Amino acid sequence: MIEITNVSKRFGRSLAVDDATLEIQAGDSVALWGVNGAGKSTLIRCMLGLLSFRGTIRIDGHDVRKRGKRARMCVGYVPQEIGFYDDLGVAEAVRYFGKLKGIRMRSTEGVLERVGLLGHESKRIRELSGGMKQRLALAIALLGDPPVLIMDEVTASLDVAGRQEFISFLSELSGRGRTMLFASHRSDEIANLAGRVVVMERGRIKSVQSADAFAEGLDSHVTLHLLIAASARGEAIAVLNRGGYSPTMNGVGVLVPVTARQKGGPFALLNKAQIAIDDFHVLTRHDVGHVRGTEGSTA
Amino acid sequence: MSALTGSTTRLDGAVRTPAFAPPGMVRNIMTVAVRELRDAVRARWFVLYTLAFAVLGLGISYVSAVGAGGVGLSGFGRTAAGLINLVLLVVPLMALTAGAGSIASDRERGMLAYLLAQPVSRTEVLLGKYVGLAGALLACICLGLGACASVLAWKGDATHPASLVWLAAMSFLLALGMLGTGMLLSVMARKASVATGTAVFLWLCLVFVTDLGLMAGTMAFHLRIEELFALSLASPLQVFKMWSLHAVDSSLDVLGPAALYAVEEHGGSLHLIFAACMTAWIVVPLGCAAVIFSRRRIT
Amino acid sequence: MNRITAILLAGASVAICVAGVRASAQPAESHEAPVLGVSSLGDAAMGEIGRRIASAPKGSTVEIGPGVYRERIRIDRALTLVGTGSPVIDGEGSGDIIEITAPGVTIRGFTIRNTGISLDKENVAIRVLAARATIENNVLDDVLFGIDLREAPDSVVRNNRIGGKELDIARRGDGLRLWRSDNVLVEGNHFHDGRDAILWYSKGVVVRGNSAIDCRYGLHLMFSDDVRIEGNELARNSVGLYLMYSTGVEIIGNRFLQNRGPSGYGIGLKETDRFTVRDNVIAANRVGVYIDGSPFTTAQPGLFTRNTVAYNDIGFAFLPSARGNELTENNFIDNIDQVSVSGRGDLSANRFWSGDIGNYWSDYTGYDQNEDGIGDFVHESQTLFENMMDKEPKLRLFLFSPAQQAIEFVGRVLPAVRPEPKFTDEVPLMAPVEIDAMRRMGAASSRALGGAGVGLLGLGMSVLALARGSGGDRGPRRRSGRNMAEQGS
Repeated sequence: MIEITNVSKRFGRSLAVDDATLEIQAGDSVALWGVNGAGKSTLIRCMLGLLSFRGTIRIDGHDVRKRGKRARMCVGYVPQEIGFYDDLGVAEAVRYFGKLKGIRMRSTEGVLERVGLLGHESKRIRELSGGMKQRLALAIALLGDPPVLIMDEVTASLDVAGRQEFISFLSELSGRGRTMLFASHRSDEIANLAGRVVVMERGRIKSVQSADAFAEGLDSHVTLHLLIAASARGEAIAVLNRGGYSPTMNGVGVLVPVTARQKGGPFALLNKAQIAIDDFHVLTRHDVGHVRGTEGSTA
Repeated sequence: MSALTGSTTRLDGAVRTPAFAPPGMVRNIMTVAVRELRDAVRARWFVLYTLAFAVLGLGISYVSAVGAGGVGLSGFGRTAAGLINLVLLVVPLMALTAGAGSIASDRERGMLAYLLAQPVSRTEVLLGKYVGLAGALLACICLGLGACASVLAWKGDATHPASLVWLAAMSFLLALGMLGTGMLLSVMARKASVATGTAVFLWLCLVFVTDLGLMAGTMAFHLRIEELFALSLASPLQVFKMWSLHAVDSSLDVLGPAALYAVEEHGGSLHLIFAACMTAWIVVPLGCAAVIFSRRRIT
Repeated sequence: MNRITAILLAGASVAICVAGVRASAQPAESHEAPVLGVSSLGDAAMGEIGRRIASAPKGSTVEIGPGVYRERIRIDRALTLVGTGSPVIDGEGSGDIIEITAPGVTIRGFTIRNTGISLDKENVAIRVLAARATIENNVLDDVLFGIDLREAPDSVVRNNRIGGKELDIARRGDGLRLWRSDNVLVEGNHFHDGRDAILWYSKGVVVRGNSAIDCRYGLHLMFSDDVRIEGNELARNSVGLYLMYSTGVEIIGNRFLQNRGPSGYGIGLKETDRFTVRDNVIAANRVGVYIDGSPFTTAQPGLFTRNTVAYNDIGFAFLPSARGNELTENNFIDNIDQVSVSGRGDLSANRFWSGDIGNYWSDYTGYDQNEDGIGDFVHESQTLFENMMDKEPKLRLFLFSPAQQAIEFVGRVLPAVRPEPKFTDEVPLMAPVEIDAMRRMGAASSRALGGAGVGLLGLGMSVLALARGSGGDRGPRRRSGRNMAEQGS
């Protein structure tokens, strides 16, 4: 359904997507996984024809560059956050995008009912909560029943409750023969939605795994986030380096990758060196990108 | 059977490629245009410009109609001269900033990426926005000049009705040219604020710098009248002015020797010359905008 | 000698102006003296009217009933020829039609039409070669020359309508011509689509209540002294009134409107002396009043009083040769250029106020705190752009542009670039003077303009309605409700 062949995208000097090749069968549900800046969003934007690139991408056999309009007919797209005329009413928005997709709609009720927005038709988009906006985006993406659903960090701007609710919506939709591709760095999304996981790192596709295998790997490594007074951080890093860890500093403390079953090691070392640890968090891999935060931007 | 034509509520069964083709170019342009027009006429800039245009126009009309007193004729002279002056000031500014704000600000708010992820082509979006904004400008011009004509008629002014209709038509052509130029700035600029700033700067150049430069050139280099006339054709504002005056008073004598030369030299084809210049100002910037826009990356 | 050269030059320049690109030398002929004493009717066959005249005794009245008379007429004795029921005398497109060779003839109530088109032979509808003719209430249509008075003093030309041929202006003839005909009264006539109404060497003529529209010169005086021009309306001609080499002319209560030919003067004064111009409306001409070498002597200042000079491209255009004019109580309203002086001339030899009376200037920026009707500050005409235009006429191309206003603004705020005032009016009026000639002007019909306004408003509103009406999610709710019901059943 989606064929990505030797796709590269360069922004100035940096290679955002580096020779990516990937084939997604009809009905697959695939997660693009990676930290911010790994190239997930760039790849998605290439698929949507928003960026020029080298290589070819076909969706349902349509080259997205040569027949972009036709290719996008097959795609429902849900962005991280729906950015559209804030003044637009909910039903109005659905009608508008329906028109662009060539759908003559007599009513928007069915569409909105499906995503639980019935009764909100006359609200303006800016009056919606984040979760409702995403559901509206989903409703719009599903207009015309496109065979492919592409989502880019769809829950990133939602709170915990909103995220869970939205994921449960999506999991209902999957498994009905629709091809799904979504960028994510959250393990709960992957666990609930993905059949396969494509791991991206610095623009390259590093591996393609089954969701189960990925989940196992995810749990085997964690990162300790140790909150240490600023004056002692340098020494702490030196100590940990000598102890065979590879710590990095961030704004409020020190990050130490460890294997899941040896979390105590760094504590012992620092204790011995009489460096006080004020507090700590255990971060799984999917959280790390968030904590690093400043490193690279979503391209 | 589903209540919706085009079937969007079917939750069961496999999802196939939509059998229907994406809507044609004209339909998509009109869809985007209507959306843009709707958004524009609600926008603050539209209301402000329209009010300013109408109020200033009414002021000019009222003063000159009352000033005409019992003479019962102001000819084309005073009223229309004042209105031309007003159009020269307001319409290019309005059209340039409207055009400059259109694409760039959408891009900044992420709306553009979402819109272009739908099955529409970039040319459709650009032209749709162009048509929509042109509609808003048309409304503004018609309301402003219509109000002026009504007040003049009420005050018993003898300005020829055709001259006002001509003026409205020419103003609209000028607005189209400036709108396309504004959109060109908009697709070129990285940020909306830069596009708008550039538009205002360009407006200053067109309104003041060009004319003052030509005047200085005339004085300093003793430009011959044919040179002066040819140079003035480069300015869309001059073309608008000369064409409006020519349409009403074919002798153009009010504009002195250079215009008299033009009438004698080109006679009936002067209309064609003006039309060609105006068309160039409408087509070329818009065409460039379309080409550049189709190559821009959308972030 | 000098004067004759000037006349020839003037005639030639006028001809060149008018002929324009058509480059025809023909109009110059009109300024050559007509050939006197030669009957141009020749041996035309005598028609019914001719027979009636031939048989009528001197001093009698001949009444002609309705009908179309295709004949040439010569009236060689004093009699009154009256048409009843609008008889038509048709010249069938060649030659002259009526010739009067005896004094004291009256022609009244005819339609005379269709002369020849020979400018050389000056084909005319009525030629008068004797004194005391009265020509009144006739309609002259499709004629080359209309009424030609040659040495016909004490005649009256009254209430005729004279329409020229549909020819190039250069190939038309004069609607009215006076040649050495003193003390003639020209009253209530209407000239249209002709060349000129022209007075040559005719003293003491009164021209009153006539109108001339779409001609070349509405009224033209050559060497005609002591002429009174009153209550006429000269509109849409190339030039309204043009005086050359005439002395003692009074121009009172006329209206000169929209005369916009290549020179386009409302009133042109060339080497005219002892003249008074008062109570006129001079509006929407290319040049309201054009003054060249007038007044010609210092006998009397050129007096311009109580005129409304409005909406002209140039209100008053002075050539450097114009000296000794005095302008008071005139209304200068919104002329693009209120007063201009061409070349390097200055206006110091002309006065724009006298005693405690000045003029009304619509561009006066002062105020009147003591409320005596006179502005508290001197009016100085010194707009920078006008000044620049006087020096470099090409700059007119930039009229009506915001750049022009920018220059005016700079001129106002920066004394350094402010030009020397062209003239000053120390006692400017705060309000325009009321003038009878203005009051007589009917209000123009503005219905079409109103229609245009409403049309434009309607177009604008419908665009707004389109914006508001479409794309909304109105209406379908009920319908969809029914669909839901169908779905359920």
